[in-house]
Amino acid sequence: MGNQMTYQEFKEEVIRIASREGIADYELYYTESESTSVEIFKEEVKGYSIEDSMGICLRCIIDGRAGYASTENLTAEEAASLVSRAVDNARSIESQEESPLHHKGDAYASLEKGQCEAPDGTALVDAALNLQKEMYQVDSRVADGTQSYLGHVSERYALCNSNGLDLEDKVSYTVGFGIALVSDGGEMYDGSEDKRGRLQDFDMKEIAGKAVEEALSTIGAGSVPSGQYTVVFSNKAMATLLGTYSDVFSAEQAQKGMSLLKGKEGEKVAADIITIVDDPLYKDSVTKRTFDGEGVATYAKNVVENGTLTTLLYNLKTAAVAGVKSTGNASKASYASVVGTSPFTFFIRPAEVECGLEDMLAAAGSGIYVTEVTGLHAGANSVTGDFSLSSVGFRIVDGRKDAPVKNFTVSGNFFTLLKEIEKVGSDLDFSRGKFGAPSVLARDISVAGNSEG
Amino acid sequence: MLSKELAKEALRRALATGADYAEVFAEHTLSKNINIISGKTDKIGDAVISGVGIRIFKGTRCVSGSASSLAPEAVLQCASKVADALTGTAAIEDIVLRERLFGDIHPVRIVPGGVENSEKIDYLREVCQAAKDYSDEIVQVNGNFLEVDHNILIATSEGLFAQDRQIRSRVSVSSVASKDGENQTGSEAPGSRKGLELFEDFDPKELGKKASKQAVTMLHAGYCKAGTMPVAIENGFGGVIFHEACGHSLEASCVALGQSQFVDKLGTQIANPKVTAIDDGTIPNGWGSINIDDEGTPSRKNVLIENGILKSYMIDKLNGRRMGMESTGNSRRQSYRFEPTSRMTNTYIAAGQDSDEDIIGSIEYGLYAKSMGGGSVNPTTGQFNFSVREGYIIRNGKICEPVRGASLIGKGSDIIMNIDMVGKNVARAQGMCGASSGSIPTDVGQPLIRVSSITVGGR
Repeated sequence: MGNQMTYQEFKEEVIRIASREGIADYELYYTESESTSVEIFKEEVKGYSIEDSMGICLRCIIDGRAGYASTENLTAEEAASLVSRAVDNARSIESQEESPLHHKGDAYASLEKGQCEAPDGTALVDAALNLQKEMYQVDSRVADGTQSYLGHVSERYALCNSNGLDLEDKVSYTVGFGIALVSDGGEMYDGSEDKRGRLQDFDMKEIAGKAVEEALSTIGAGSVPSGQYTVVFSNKAMATLLGTYSDVFSAEQAQKGMSLLKGKEGEKVAADIITIVDDPLYKDSVTKRTFDGEGVATYAKNVVENGTLTTLLYNLKTAAVAGVKSTGNASKASYASVVGTSPFTFFIRPAEVECGLEDMLAAAGSGIYVTEVTGLHAGANSVTGDFSLSSVGFRIVDGRKDAPVKNFTVSGNFFTLLKEIEKVGSDLDFSRGKFGAPSVLARDISVAGNSEG
Repeated sequence: MLSKELAKEALRRALATGADYAEVFAEHTLSKNINIISGKTDKIGDAVISGVGIRIFKGTRCVSGSASSLAPEAVLQCASKVADALTGTAAIEDIVLRERLFGDIHPVRIVPGGVENSEKIDYLREVCQAAKDYSDEIVQVNGNFLEVDHNILIATSEGLFAQDRQIRSRVSVSSVASKDGENQTGSEAPGSRKGLELFEDFDPKELGKKASKQAVTMLHAGYCKAGTMPVAIENGFGGVIFHEACGHSLEASCVALGQSQFVDKLGTQIANPKVTAIDDGTIPNGWGSINIDDEGTPSRKNVLIENGILKSYMIDKLNGRRMGMESTGNSRRQSYRFEPTSRMTNTYIAAGQDSDEDIIGSIEYGLYAKSMGGGSVNPTTGQFNFSVREGYIIRNGKICEPVRGASLIGKGSDIIMNIDMVGKNVARAQGMCGASSGSIPTDVGQPLIRVSSITVGGR
């Protein structure tokens, strides 16, 4: 397989070959990641895993068209193959839009140093065992099958291009995850809770409590008769929906006719109380990024402001097509991915006045409090906006949370829902990772349960 | 990929702290993804994936590690790191690796990597053009060609040294129909464990036309009314219902941990007597087929349910230890970066005795799900959700008007009891299945079936 090179050696080799081949415009994108994780089952270590991964992607521009090739095999032969594959692919591209490379001159944010020290393996194991023990202690019905997971990830992102850009971001965080299984009357119920950040800030009792509580609260859930209901979507459920439909804010999807927000910039697309923010440097995020997938400096922006669509999310290519500036939203799902557009930390801005879940339920009066929606890759279509999702939650009676309900679907259209949100809570939650939302209230939502009632 | 000597040394190091089993999985994969939009080549992804995953077991405890390199130093370092997680002395000293050949029952005539982009693009262009030409209401067509040349090598402390080369190709087309600010989509996505000869199996014009026809039909359909009713689910991708509602709960990864609705149900009636379900990784050129699984166990045909009786789970080595059962050749992983676990291959409901006419004719009022979208399930509770991509109302035994926005929801153990009519013509369709060991190719399948009662979500 030839002699392995370091990233630096490989990078120099690629640059040498590119210049020999007369390729003037190119970009190298590199990621590496180190992670350690532990999984506990029945209060014992079930699995322990150490991962070292890295990869490099070359993008070269030939006659304005971008060609990509990536590899994990850093040898001299592979460097030559990488260049020829990328050139070959660039020559096969027919789209008219030019793919520019970014230039120097942006002001980049600086991330605070040493954000999160990697805990050693023993500390992770102890923490995970502790989380497991705490879950069993919450309730006697907690059953085997309950699992806890602790992991630490350190990632490095680097980008350099033929315009002299040379950037690097480092990200490091610990993840904790509890999956509680509860057995009651021969039926199984599950609940989960996760946390990202620094291990020393994790409260295992709290994570355990929430996971078990979620499982317990669904015991004896009944069904609901089909009909139109006032619905309060929990902050988690709303964040899940926002994440599922985040593609509709992509300029790339819009330009390809795959988003109904095409041509809607400057228009009302949501209720006045809705502001949607993309903030790659969001204060509480554990994955802050200072540059995007093309090296453009990231910044916070309101994508929807008081109901008006202010901007879509652009990368350099889609910005050039639209005649605007990139919003720094070029994305790569992995180092090997072709550049697309997507948000970083994306959320619906919470109400400024205190408005917790109780207030939301009180405002609803009666209806359904939807705590979780599932089946998104099947039941939600970002091109049409339609969704029909399997849900669980609680009835709302006299403005209060009442009996648990399950086995029903909530149907509607994301674009319609955005316009019809009547109230937004102040309980912004990010447990769905980079997508966040407060709880929201909407009326006349179609719910399908049992026809008999 | 890795020499026998290097594999042996890596195993020796991995076993140094007392593990009773060690496994080295090396991978070198080439993949390419060509995307056409608005009739023009828009993006090409082109990747080399190369690295090693090492696992050791001590009883039912597993330690695993991976590294993005096949260089000897990196492989050995990975082995040492894995060993460091245990504290003990070597229990296994001698490893004799014997190379085994399992043969390949999936002939490939045209290796995709050896063919110019232009040939693949020409085919895709024809698909997309036919899709666009189908109707003025088609506003966008997205075509994709994926090729994967996945080479794996597995060496274990039991002495196995085996390799497999898995070549797969897939064409997909998605059409968007639009009218009065409303969009509907339609798609087709056939794939196979073969090379570019896949193109000969499918007329590109037909593929494009089918995707667009679905989008246009749905654009003119009204919304499905919600309710509980009998549903006839068509063959092919309709099999996703068994995959999700039942298949995942039969994977040892859930069963061994007590997280399945089918724990301790072997030999008992879990489905309607009309239901026989099979997972078969040995179907020649099947999208989900494998010669050997990712632990080196030969793939086989496993009868999961026979006439409603649970016969077998799908088992990998590690969960097999927890359950006291042998592997069924179902251990799979997306790549060296993922730890393998029990997964499906080509899973389907076997042919029954009912005619399609009788099935449709038996329904006074219900839904005919001609084409299913994806679905998902919580294996612990069995709660599932499927979208119906193309549905029609059945009235008085006749298929009537199309409806959009329908979804099927329920509980896996209930629905397989309620499959009370099973047709004769099995068809399979391709999908990518995501779970803890990553995204892997799997086939779903079934004949036309009737579910006597199911909750249909709509509005």
